[in-house]
Amino acid sequence: MKGSGGSLGGAVFPNAPSLDRPGTGRAGAHHGELIQGVFQDERGRLHRGLITLPLSHMNSLALFEVADEQGVSVVPPEKMKAAKAALLTLRHLDSHHLGGLLTVESAIPVGHGYGSSTADVVASIRAVADAFEMQLRPSVVCRLAVEAERASDAIAFEDQAVLFAQREGVVIEHFGDALPPIWVIGFKANDGQLVDTLALPPARYSSEEIQTFAMLRGLAARSIKYQDPHLLGQAATLSAKISQRHLAKAQFATALGIANNFDACGVQVAHSGSLIGIILDATAPGVAGTARNIAEAAATAGFKDVVVQPIYSVRRPS
Amino acid sequence: MRFDADYFEALETPRMARLAANVVAAAFPLMKLMPARYILDRAEAAGELKGKAHIVETTSGTFGMAVALLAAARDYRLTLVTASTLMDSKYQARLQRLGAEVIALDDPRGDGNQKGRLESLDGILRQVPDAFWTRQYDSDGNWLAYARLADLFVRSMGQIDCLVGCVGTGGSLCGTGTFLRSVFPDLKIIGVDTHRSILFGQPLGKRVLRGLGNSVLPKNVRHELVDEIHWVGAYPAFHAAHRLFRQHGMFMGPTSGAAALVGQWVSKTNPEARVAVIMPDEGHRHADTVYNDIWLSTLPGWRTPASAFPTKISRIEPKPETAWTRFDWRRRSLEDVMQLQTTDR
Ligand SMILES: Cc1ncc(COP(=O)(O)O)c(C=O)c1O
Repeated sequence: MKGSGGSLGGAVFPNAPSLDRPGTGRAGAHHGELIQGVFQDERGRLHRGLITLPLSHMNSLALFEVADEQGVSVVPPEKMKAAKAALLTLRHLDSHHLGGLLTVESAIPVGHGYGSSTADVVASIRAVADAFEMQLRPSVVCRLAVEAERASDAIAFEDQAVLFAQREGVVIEHFGDALPPIWVIGFKANDGQLVDTLALPPARYSSEEIQTFAMLRGLAARSIKYQDPHLLGQAATLSAKISQRHLAKAQFATALGIANNFDACGVQVAHSGSLIGIILDATAPGVAGTARNIAEAAATAGFKDVVVQPIYSVRRPS
Repeated sequence: MRFDADYFEALETPRMARLAANVVAAAFPLMKLMPARYILDRAEAAGELKGKAHIVETTSGTFGMAVALLAAARDYRLTLVTASTLMDSKYQARLQRLGAEVIALDDPRGDGNQKGRLESLDGILRQVPDAFWTRQYDSDGNWLAYARLADLFVRSMGQIDCLVGCVGTGGSLCGTGTFLRSVFPDLKIIGVDTHRSILFGQPLGKRVLRGLGNSVLPKNVRHELVDEIHWVGAYPAFHAAHRLFRQHGMFMGPTSGAAALVGQWVSKTNPEARVAVIMPDEGHRHADTVYNDIWLSTLPGWRTPASAFPTKISRIEPKPETAWTRFDWRRRSLEDVMQLQTTDR
């Protein structure tokens, strides 16, 4: 959507900043990934890639007030990557001569694989764009986000399923629809200990694992095309099992057992965090009761911070 | 963008054809392109194949054709060792047109003379020490390549309950089965062999159905994956190939006929199951034999009606070419099954 336009020094700009209204931006957390691995592009080259499991009920909110001089200051000051993202967005909008004050407020816990940092970055990019009465395409937001923080995820696409190259900021495959309707009962393994995501070395996958990812991609494509939560759950489970060989989570087998006992669709994890999620078909009769029982079983088994999360079942006004 | 002349992606990709409400067949023009390309790509990436490298392999035909196509496009030298009973002169001429050197050994016993072929190949490797042997019998590349087929199957079918495929090197069935079972742990894997092939414990002898089965045991046959094994005689396989052509418009080779026969029987006996079938090649190479009534009429016993369903056996033994037998393998090793067979006697 184009802005209303304005004039500055005689020239007409399609998107001049509104100096009296701060821009706002919002971005959601995620619950790790449904699938993560390496995937071929159409020329046969391998890229690290993932399918994010987005959450809509935890958000980061950013506010950007444009100032007529260079430089971005941020509150709280430790959100350096968000400030960097704001600067990159100003440059993208051909407005590097401007700056401003960025305020970020987040309800997303840090260090468990909820993607708090990416949410801050994406919310900030959106806030700056909004100050210019602009909405950027998800692909542009993702590219800027990767520039700001080295590795990102696909939350800018919200519930639209994409296979995203998290270190390059490009989409490997658009699956063409939203994820199937699911609920995720999420909890923390490893006694809720923090993980320093970016300090982790990237996983080195075996040939068999790399070949397996090709099939996982096919399963994801099919599950999205036919909105099949069971197939998606089976694919996520296999991806989680592969992840377990590279970054083991304590009590992963226990989580698999709970999922089996309650006939869940499958199990997903934050491949570089401590989150585990048990996936349910949102359209199954009695899903709320099953979710409660699974949550109870997970808490009894010693998992921390158990939450029942319908995935994008209620769309928030943006 | 670089044009990958040596990729042959379309030729490598099977047509996914529905044979019944619950059966999908992957009908390949030339299945062996999948492992051949994967093995060569891996060797190139690992630096084992450089410049004008010399590739060698022993083959009954289709793997040789696949490597020959790739070697021609990528400018490698290729020597193929085969047996006179396995390859007609037209097929040999096609391979030679692609620049391959074909060594066809005599096969007095009619068992494919795999031992002689391996000895001949050893001789070449001694003379050309840096030759690259694609090793379809025991290289991991053969089975790993079939993740691509697993991908195509799940994209067109979703959940899969039974996988039916021929066993020669074991690469296609065991590879596809390994990947599919990693996501569908209850997947039933059903192998298709033929009488007098030694792969699943029969004594060695002359085989009329060629392309599947073997006279030696490749490492890529992993018995522990197999739930059930069928021995399809040449005649039921030929009839099944004819039916595929008439009823489905699919002109496929006789091993595809055997796989379709078993796949359709599995689907009828398990109407709730989703069945995937692998069909390795087309019928053109067999136009003068399997699809020729004069040639067929020279086969002893061809007029005898062929089995329309499998006979379940508990003693593994060879049967006439009209017969079709099956055995509950139950994911056991060859040793375990054979041990029980001898104590049963
Ligand atoms: C026509 C045909 N059918 C079946 C097979 C058996 O396939 P695999 O070697 O993957 O077991 C082959 C392999 O040579 C073949 O050429």
